[in-house]
Amino acid sequence: MERYKSSIPTCLYKLGFIAVILCVPYIIRNLYYLHLINLIGIYCLVVIGLNILTGYTGQISMGQAGFFAVGAYTSALLMMKLGLSFWVATLIAAVVAAVLGIIIAIPALRLTGPYLVMATVGFGEIIRLILVNWVPVTRGAAGLTAIPAPSLFGFRIISEKSFFYLIYIVVALGILIAVRISNSKIGRTFIAIREDELAAKSMGVPTNTYKVSAFAISAIYAGIAGSMFGCFSGVASPDAFTFNDSVGFLCMSIIGGSRSIYGAFIGSVTLTFVSELLRFMQLYRLIIYGAILLLTAILMPQGLSGMGPVFRKFSHRWKGKRRLHGNIQHSQRKER
Amino acid sequence: MKGWDILYYLVNGLPIGAIYALVALGYSLIYASAGVLNWSQGDMVMLGAFIGYNLHCLLGLNFILALLITTPAVACIGMLVERIVLRSLRKRSSPPVNVVIGTLGVAIICRNLALAIWGPDAQLFRSPVGSVPVEIGTLRLFPQDIFILILGIALMILLQYFLKYTREGKALRAVAQDRMAASLMGIDVGKSDTLAFAASAAMGAVAGILIAPLFFVTFNMGAGIGLKGFVAAVVGGLGNIPGAIGGGFFLGLIESFASGKISSGYRDAIAFTVLILILWLKPAGLFSKITKETV
Amino acid sequence: MDRVRKLFLLLFSLVIGIALISVPYSGSAANKVLKIGSVAPETGDSADLGQAQRRGIQMACDEINEQGWAGDWKLEPHFEDDEGNPTKAASVTNKLIQETKVPVIIGAINSSCTLAAMVHTERAGIPQITSGSTGASITAQGNKWIFRTAVNDSHQAIALIDYAINRLNLKKVSTFTAADDYGQSGAVLLKAAADKAGLEVVVEATYNTGDKDFKPQLLLMKERGTEAIFMWGIYVEPALIGNQARLLGMDCQLFAASGSASHKLIELGGEALQGMILTQSFLPESDIPRVKSFIDNYNKRFGEDPIPHAAQPYDSVYIIADAVRRIDTTDPVKLRDAIANTSGLELVTGSPRFAANGDDVGKRVLITEIRGDAFRLVEIAAVELSD
Repeated sequence: MERYKSSIPTCLYKLGFIAVILCVPYIIRNLYYLHLINLIGIYCLVVIGLNILTGYTGQISMGQAGFFAVGAYTSALLMMKLGLSFWVATLIAAVVAAVLGIIIAIPALRLTGPYLVMATVGFGEIIRLILVNWVPVTRGAAGLTAIPAPSLFGFRIISEKSFFYLIYIVVALGILIAVRISNSKIGRTFIAIREDELAAKSMGVPTNTYKVSAFAISAIYAGIAGSMFGCFSGVASPDAFTFNDSVGFLCMSIIGGSRSIYGAFIGSVTLTFVSELLRFMQLYRLIIYGAILLLTAILMPQGLSGMGPVFRKFSHRWKGKRRLHGNIQHSQRKER
Repeated sequence: MKGWDILYYLVNGLPIGAIYALVALGYSLIYASAGVLNWSQGDMVMLGAFIGYNLHCLLGLNFILALLITTPAVACIGMLVERIVLRSLRKRSSPPVNVVIGTLGVAIICRNLALAIWGPDAQLFRSPVGSVPVEIGTLRLFPQDIFILILGIALMILLQYFLKYTREGKALRAVAQDRMAASLMGIDVGKSDTLAFAASAAMGAVAGILIAPLFFVTFNMGAGIGLKGFVAAVVGGLGNIPGAIGGGFFLGLIESFASGKISSGYRDAIAFTVLILILWLKPAGLFSKITKETV
Repeated sequence: MDRVRKLFLLLFSLVIGIALISVPYSGSAANKVLKIGSVAPETGDSADLGQAQRRGIQMACDEINEQGWAGDWKLEPHFEDDEGNPTKAASVTNKLIQETKVPVIIGAINSSCTLAAMVHTERAGIPQITSGSTGASITAQGNKWIFRTAVNDSHQAIALIDYAINRLNLKKVSTFTAADDYGQSGAVLLKAAADKAGLEVVVEATYNTGDKDFKPQLLLMKERGTEAIFMWGIYVEPALIGNQARLLGMDCQLFAASGSASHKLIELGGEALQGMILTQSFLPESDIPRVKSFIDNYNKRFGEDPIPHAAQPYDSVYIIADAVRRIDTTDPVKLRDAIANTSGLELVTGSPRFAANGDDVGKRVLITEIRGDAFRLVEIAAVELSD
């Protein structure tokens, strides 16, 4: 297997992977599944941001739906009231979300653990209540309807298929940038803050700047995701941005593995599909869902993406047996 | 604002404050001992209310008897949560946020089991002390409110007694101060965690039975009360027992004044803004001395 | 410990596997089957309403199948839970359209969910009947695929205000409404009706669903000399408000709309709610045979009296069955036209007729009073019932 792998340049793998992704809307014809896949892409973006904040920097946020809502409402309102194009509106939405991220980061700087949880819960609720009560702008509890579709060179992005390409190009960019960040000096500083803030500070790291920027980055991800979500669902109402949604994002982050960028994708895929696939169980669905949350939190402390070593061990043992059978010698890699 | 007006809002905020304080004590006790957040605290309130409803209203048991059966029953559920979630997470030395997700799973299970068992409708729980108000001047006091205050405060005193004068309580306080040192001194820290979870669940259960006559019993009542209790605990300073009590009453009074005097739609938003500002000024809660982290 | 983990992984994949296998299965043997999709919050904060919708639809389908009411068409309901979350509502609507392949959908209950679902029914070209949402924006968008069989809130508000002025001679009133879409649209309608009729509104208070303590707002109303309180919300909070108002020694007339009309309201509210005035579209203690048989059957089957959120979906199923009976096909376009031309049906909540925007203008508006442990008819409101 290893020899086979090394004989083909990795870029071909990547190209093949991209080709497969590009074909997804043609393979999955069922629009319901395509809808879910698009939703997963949007959630994934939010969770990437959350992973940078929670997984890398160690700052728990239970108010991510607030940034998500700000993104959705800002871009939708700019498009509807000022007639701006989706792209400009998304950019502004990202900036507005980032500014809010910085604003919430300032009181959050001094807070840790449960106190930070409370502050972020409060932030999410404040945003939701503003959406409900600021009727002249947000249209209150009923929310915005008929949010225009994005368009690119005269082509209107409105079908599930075209949204798939829009969303996944942004997701790919988002993952790329997040991986870059996490492998750079910034990412290492984030981890240093998570592991021991005091030590990082004494080494001369401006921890406050880094913590604020982690908040801003996560807000930008949520803001862009929110902007796409508004156009994608065509409506935006406070009901879609509740505390439960914030908790849902955190669950995706933890279940997928908050310390890995790819974990964001794994988490959003798993929780979205699990909750949809359990539908045949009707009323008992949520009981099973709760049990899955509980068991995953207990049995996989690093989330699903942290299960890599276990899987590898599995496959190695299996491969080892088979190869022994075929009389092929191979050197066993040392496993942790 | 007239004089009796202020007095009225004060009196009105106290019983609900006592309930918040009981729930907040649950969060604080667990945080003190185990250093984690138990997100299923609100659902212990719901379970308490429902089990009490079953015993008192459906089986026709005496109220006090129902209270005496419900409380240990819910305490057992609390212990079970500790066994299942906390123990296994400790064994794997997972980050504390996993406890939040794990107990959230427990909360979702409890809530939807209650929905499956008792249905989606609100259930009526008649007050055991009647509903004829006591009039003192212009003030009208409601028997259930007085009952809540008396029982709530009694429970808080009982908890203080337990923490100060019993062996187990002293052990719990030792663990809260320094888990490692306590463990080295031969204190069973696991047992102290179990105790904290049991006591928290028990207090939640009592809170549930006490508010049931005022609020009706619904499967999702735990979510709101749990969040309010958490806020109260945080404002008072998590792990700080008098702080939790103070935080509970503080929140109850704020709500009472705010709904009467400030726009009721923005009430919670204003409350949360104030709370975030308080945390900004006093990051470890209102009733704490500011301590700087040292190496 | 690794073994436990592996076991869990195995279980985990097993669950997903089973779910994957079981989901695509949705075949049906009979050839004249009309699938009806239902989107409603069967769990979450409005679970009581969603489960009532489920019961209403289930009962209507069983009755129609038993009696052969729709000719040789057999009705097959498919229920999906939206948890009161618009994102979920959009997903399950998609599921019903794409997977279950329903030609018509009843739902949802929360206005935000209905609006999110409408995007998908319109795109797919499938008629959707909402029997629970009252938000004004639902039928104001020019969407040709949406019908509404929920009671018209504007008519109810006018009827209530008229009654307060003409029969009870009230001068100063307060509104006390839920801070959700249902309550807020009610608040706007009440204020408009009161302003038009020259009734002074002294306090306009709101509460969040799930609030338990209303005494501060009530005290403010007492201070300003309120003679009546108009409530707009689901039954739990109005029951509490009524109780707390009595505890505060307030002697004012209580009003509410059909959203609160449930026997649970009388049960929870007790003594405090005696004499409360509500508008309803059907009366549980009715003499009309159609209504009486519905209530008796519902009671026999589920052991409780129906709430409007059971009666309206029940009627919606009959509207759909009647349409299919006439056109003898499930083609969505023809089905929509047939539903739009509904006439001459005598159902539980009235005799449905749809206006051009999709609103049912054939609903009854009854003014009822709580007396003893039942709702009693006071009068049939004389509101102009044509749009």
